[in-house]
Amino acid sequence: MANTESLENVVLELRRGVIVLAALSQLSAEQYGYSLLKQLSDQGLEVDQGTLYPLLRRLEGQGLLESVWKLEEARPRRYYIISAEGKKILPKLKKEWADIVSVMKKMLA
Amino acid sequence: MKLIDRYVSEVGKRLLALQGREDIEKELRSTLEDMLEERAEKAGKPADEAMEIELLKEYGSPDEVATTYNPHPYLIGPRLFPIFLKILKLVFFGVTIGLTVVMIIQLATQTPLMGSAVTEIVGGWITKIFSTLVAAFGYIVLTFAILERTVPDLGINKEDFEDKWDPASLAKEPHPDAVKRIDLIFEIVFTFIGLAIINGIFNIPIFSDIFRQFVPWINTVFIIEILLDIYLLRKAVWDTITRIVKIVMETGTIVLAVIMLRTPNLLTVPNEVLENIPDTSSIGVEGFLRISNLSVAIVLIFVIVVASVELIKAGIGLIKSYRRK
Repeated sequence: MANTESLENVVLELRRGVIVLAALSQLSAEQYGYSLLKQLSDQGLEVDQGTLYPLLRRLEGQGLLESVWKLEEARPRRYYIISAEGKKILPKLKKEWADIVSVMKKMLA
Repeated sequence: MKLIDRYVSEVGKRLLALQGREDIEKELRSTLEDMLEERAEKAGKPADEAMEIELLKEYGSPDEVATTYNPHPYLIGPRLFPIFLKILKLVFFGVTIGLTVVMIIQLATQTPLMGSAVTEIVGGWITKIFSTLVAAFGYIVLTFAILERTVPDLGINKEDFEDKWDPASLAKEPHPDAVKRIDLIFEIVFTFIGLAIINGIFNIPIFSDIFRQFVPWINTVFIIEILLDIYLLRKAVWDTITRIVKIVMETGTIVLAVIMLRTPNLLTVPNEVLENIPDTSSIGVEGFLRISNLSVAIVLIFVIVVASVELIKAGIGLIKSYRRK
């Protein structure tokens, strides 16, 4: 029981950092929360709503994303898009990710 | 749709306006409506209440949802925790030392020193330490909890409060003019306690009117001492000016202590003590006054010795620093 719990915690920790990178990488075109969620899921990354929406708000607070409300089909939607600041750090994050992957690949081989 | 509205407002109730509650509510509603619509499309029939219930169940309880939006799941977050711990330790240390000094003074000025009085003073000391520490802890936590929520992220770096320890510092000779921070902190704490005692904050009814004439002078010396110490804490090294201020202040202290030493009856014996002296007591009122004069003299001589040592140290430091130049 305790083992499954700690496994889940580690997996959660592992994914948490990746979600930021995933979200930033997908937001070069504007998306609203739910559409981003589906887009991530279509590509195989299942993210919980309870994780993604607060994360988007946080990234916006950090200035990495910008958002704007739009009225669509009589429904207001909040669209997010990567900011200039976000565009600046995205390549660095990608590079960091590639480094981690190559190191871990070797280590786990 | 009614259920979604109610659900959204339930979540909103658990959020603060400060967190952008309206915005979150709006976004949550639009998301839930999108999801419901999608489910209806998949099912091939218009959305009904059962579908809504299923959706909300999956989305989670309003408590859970609100928690995910809470940017401050901590009372005091990792950003402020190191400085919080530092201040907590400093205050606990200061309170314990301060109250212990007060107790020792109470014991020293208690004449006659009877067993029951000792028990009372020591017992009072323990209760006071406990209640003061609990209260201090509460105030510090409260202050930091408020800071956590009001101080913006910018400007406060965890690193600013952590000593940047450099192993190379072990190899370096200490700076010849470096101040000893711990000594200064002790001095500040004790001087504050001294200020509190002579200005009657602790209600120790032993100072006579003759003593009170000296209070403005003692206050002046103490305040200069505290200001100098705080300045030194920030500057970290002695220089010519601070050494001269120190010499002048210590000289003043010695002069003041000598004048006080030559002044009799600085302390009085409280009336309630006088009333309780049995007529048959071998010491008598005269004896009490003699004892109180003697203890004052001991304290003053101690002050003179300490001030002289400090004076000489500052003088030597001044001469050495000139020689180095």
